[in-house]
Amino acid sequence: MSPRAVLSAAWLPVLFLALAALPFVPDKQVGLYAQQLTPIFILALLALGLNVVVGYTGLLHLGIAAFFGIGAYTVGILTVQTFPFQLAFPVAVLVGVLASAALGVATTAPTLRLRGDYLALVTMGFGLIIVFVIRNLDAITEGTRGLNPVTPKLLPGVDDPDLRPIRPANLGWGRYWYDYPYFYLLCLGLLALTNVLLRNLERSRLGRAWVALREDELAASCMGLNPARLKLTAIALGAAIAGLAGGLYAVAQQTTGGPEAYDFNRSMITLCCVILGGLGNRPGVLLGVFLLVGYDMVLTPVLDTYVQKREFQELFPAWMQGKQYLKVSGWRLFIFGAALIVMMRFRPSGLLPAARTKHELG
Amino acid sequence: MTPLFAADPAAAFGQFVLIGLVSGLLYALIALGYTMVYGIVELINFAHGDLFMLGCFLSLEVCLLVGARTQSEAGTPAGLAAVALMLVAAPLFCAALNVAVDRAVYKPLRTAPKLAPLVSAIGVSFVFMGVGLFWKGATDVTFPDLLGPRVTDPAAAPPEPANLLDGTGLRFTFKDLMVVLVTLPTMAALTLFVRYTTLGKAMRATAQNPTAAQLMGINVDRVIAATFALGGALAGVGSVVYSLYFNTVNYQMGFQNGVYAFTAAVLGGIGNIPGAVLGGIMIGLVKTLGGAYIGSEWSEALIFAILVVVLIFRPNGLLGARTREKV
Amino acid sequence: MDRRRFLAAATGLAAGSMAGCGGCGGSKDTRPVLKILSSFPRTGSAQGQTDTIVNGIKMAIEDFGGEVAGHRIDYVDADDATASSGKWEAAAEAKNARDAVADDDVMVFIGPYNSGAAKVSMPILNEGGVLQISPAATWPGLTKKQPGDTTGEPEVYRPAKRVTFCRVCPTDDVQGPLSADFVKETLTAKKVYILHDNELYGDGIAGLFEARCRAIGLEILGGGRRPIVHTQTSFREITEQVRALNPDMVYFGGTTQTAAGKLVKDLRASRVTCPVMVPDGCYEQAFLDSASAQDLANVYATIGGTDPSMLKGKGKEFVEKYKAKYTKEPEAYAVYGYEAAAVFLAAAKKVGRKDREAILKACLETKDFEGGVVGKWSFDADGDTTLQQLTISKVEGGKFVPQKTVDKK
Repeated sequence: MSPRAVLSAAWLPVLFLALAALPFVPDKQVGLYAQQLTPIFILALLALGLNVVVGYTGLLHLGIAAFFGIGAYTVGILTVQTFPFQLAFPVAVLVGVLASAALGVATTAPTLRLRGDYLALVTMGFGLIIVFVIRNLDAITEGTRGLNPVTPKLLPGVDDPDLRPIRPANLGWGRYWYDYPYFYLLCLGLLALTNVLLRNLERSRLGRAWVALREDELAASCMGLNPARLKLTAIALGAAIAGLAGGLYAVAQQTTGGPEAYDFNRSMITLCCVILGGLGNRPGVLLGVFLLVGYDMVLTPVLDTYVQKREFQELFPAWMQGKQYLKVSGWRLFIFGAALIVMMRFRPSGLLPAARTKHELG
Repeated sequence: MTPLFAADPAAAFGQFVLIGLVSGLLYALIALGYTMVYGIVELINFAHGDLFMLGCFLSLEVCLLVGARTQSEAGTPAGLAAVALMLVAAPLFCAALNVAVDRAVYKPLRTAPKLAPLVSAIGVSFVFMGVGLFWKGATDVTFPDLLGPRVTDPAAAPPEPANLLDGTGLRFTFKDLMVVLVTLPTMAALTLFVRYTTLGKAMRATAQNPTAAQLMGINVDRVIAATFALGGALAGVGSVVYSLYFNTVNYQMGFQNGVYAFTAAVLGGIGNIPGAVLGGIMIGLVKTLGGAYIGSEWSEALIFAILVVVLIFRPNGLLGARTREKV
Repeated sequence: MDRRRFLAAATGLAAGSMAGCGGCGGSKDTRPVLKILSSFPRTGSAQGQTDTIVNGIKMAIEDFGGEVAGHRIDYVDADDATASSGKWEAAAEAKNARDAVADDDVMVFIGPYNSGAAKVSMPILNEGGVLQISPAATWPGLTKKQPGDTTGEPEVYRPAKRVTFCRVCPTDDVQGPLSADFVKETLTAKKVYILHDNELYGDGIAGLFEARCRAIGLEILGGGRRPIVHTQTSFREITEQVRALNPDMVYFGGTTQTAAGKLVKDLRASRVTCPVMVPDGCYEQAFLDSASAQDLANVYATIGGTDPSMLKGKGKEFVEKYKAKYTKEPEAYAVYGYEAAAVFLAAAKKVGRKDREAILKACLETKDFEGGVVGKWSFDADGDTTLQQLTISKVEGGKFVPQKTVDKK
């Protein structure tokens, strides 16, 4: 292989290894920032799940957050103290993943004959319905309050070990397995694993069949592919990955949060990440999540604190102080919006386009 | 559960139907903007709801400018001037903004894959929301009730608005009438416009087949701009009526109303003008009656459930024509 | 652009965000640092109210000269809301709590504003052993077991099996029942209709109000309290039902952020002209701005403790200083922001060293505290203030006008 080919094949594993090494950097400050990456890994998983549906198969799904919510609430219900189940984390997550996949298939099967835009709309409707169901079934989901605290056991029947004895001094390492950096490494590991799995899948018969379906459904079915079955496998896999992400999210926050965390907004932002990075291209999707979610969850708070420290607001007349436009976070909507518009105008296939899409879109 | 209506169940039902119809007309007015744009360029214009929101903010700005800040100005020259000015300014503003966005954002993407303009529209929606947030902040802002009864003593409870259906057990105020008086003629005019004027015919031709329309000498770009202008103007009219009717505006109102309107458009068959009106009215009724008899916490879930069911059995909406798949 | 240039740009951004704080503390001050981290919804419709709390905290720090026992006080004003939702979000609150635990300089977490958010941050901070003082979260179950509770409150918030959360504001078990008494005695109502926003705080206080109403023989119309969905465009289908039942007063357990203003407006549009009462979540300027003066003409709002305008002594000085500094009236919670910071600073001063554990202990043991502005009070064993007062105000001419202050018997 040429050096160039080695570089393009190796950069992703190298990045993953570098991220895995972060908690061991002997600097407290690095730890403080690294622990903020956990939600990014989880949202990257969600985006990879959406990418299976939208990117590989070409079904515009506007309700991926619903599966994210199903995963989170399944883990919540099966592990919180309020309910009698209190299963261990792997079991609860597995149930969440299966529930998401099953729901994905059940809700998509009747709508397979819809055209693109209408399908998008049905998925949006489904996503909104799930949010209301979560919100209204107070007895099960605690309504807008969220299930709390979600701190499941790692293994069935064994109390969580106190991990403090093994931690190095002063790196901000937590006590239990769901604390930083153990959970950070778990999420990173699952992300890497999913990534490898999807890479192999892309090259398999199934992956190629999905792409064929996306490019031309009629031609694909003429070649003997079964579009309905292919679409359902894609949605099952996408929903399963989203469910996994949801389960991790609930544990990462130690609460399911309210239903708002799984609403249309989440679906939209995930879609934005996928599109910004490059539809159908895993590294692109990861980059998209890293940029958009990273900006939103890591960069803005840091910049806002910085601006606040410098007493930037005091430079302005009193009536302007405290206004949204004097805060970095206030510009969030503009940045998201502008990113999408500019991308579509000048680089519609994403920052890192898939080789195939690049070929088509130029 | 105890019975909800101690007094008169039939009158209560009638009242809910009235409220549902009136709010349904408002959703229909916004839905028309979605449906027209979709009919011509096959774009789900996600930013339409937020355009409507900006129209509401502009209307509020007009009120403040004219000096109509409270209900004390209802019926006064300042109040009437504010309403008249709003009905001119908001549609113009929304139309101009919609056309500008089309030129700057959607036009370069006419030949791009279908996903591209859709994603851009989501982007525009975010930008509009950002503008709204900077403009009026994140709180609910009250909108002067210029069509309510005039208030002379601001400390006292507001006077009762005149009931146009007095004696029937139902309440139908001047405000409700205003919604009907603005929306129905607007819709009728729009239908006639699309059916009989040259531009309307050109729109329908472009909707059917842009290439063929171009070959027949139709300036497709101009037709599309006109569609965006018309859709925007409808959002502007809708925003004035809505603000005067509900009297609360908020930068997030675009999303909620946009989703209702969008659902209405699809329910009726997107691209179909009477369909959008039918869809809007259906949504108004389902929301009100569902909210009253099932529980308001379920009314939105019910709307989307109906949407999903309708689409499963009639994939092109209630009045939508069966279109060929573009290959 | 090719792939590698994008990667370079991305890596640059990452490095930028990682190193972003390298220069933050770049001042020449070499004193050791004690950090106060506050977490409130700083974006969105609660901003007016949280601005005032943050101002209160800043004034307390200033009154201590910006340092205690040779330690510089560093204040981080974190946001638990996001711009897109305009209200607090669990993810943001959890992040702030984790940041506080991970940063050894942080001695106290002041916040949150919402009781629902407290549910999220409390277990994390408890586990991490960080003192938490809320100036505004009033759901009683956060600290005390509520009758009929099945969720395991408050123990679920205390995984470390001890108290780390305290609050300086009176709780809803003062507010809800005393409001009900006021409704019966002063408004002489017999039939009430109760609505709520289905959130921890709103549903909770409406429940406490409802229970007290039943106990003192008021009739609850509609079979019990009913939820609204605050994101809806109108509540007319609910307000029409309210009108049909003809109540003597309507109670709404909710906040300005959950559409209290819009609800009042729709009630008036449905010709429900009876008094409407809202709890402290609406006791703010934003609520007055969200509906017209006519619609609010017969609206009562309650606030734990007293209205800033009624304070005496140190409290009065505080209000005047506040007005001079920020050129506007403090909102109701400004005093609790001040109080929260002051009680922490006093404890830190007493301990005199950078020691989370010792400061936590000293703060929770605070008795007969007078260093603040609301008068003399103590923390009880659960971390609640002994200040058990309620002020009921009526909206008149677009202002809250205090009517009556009652103490819990």
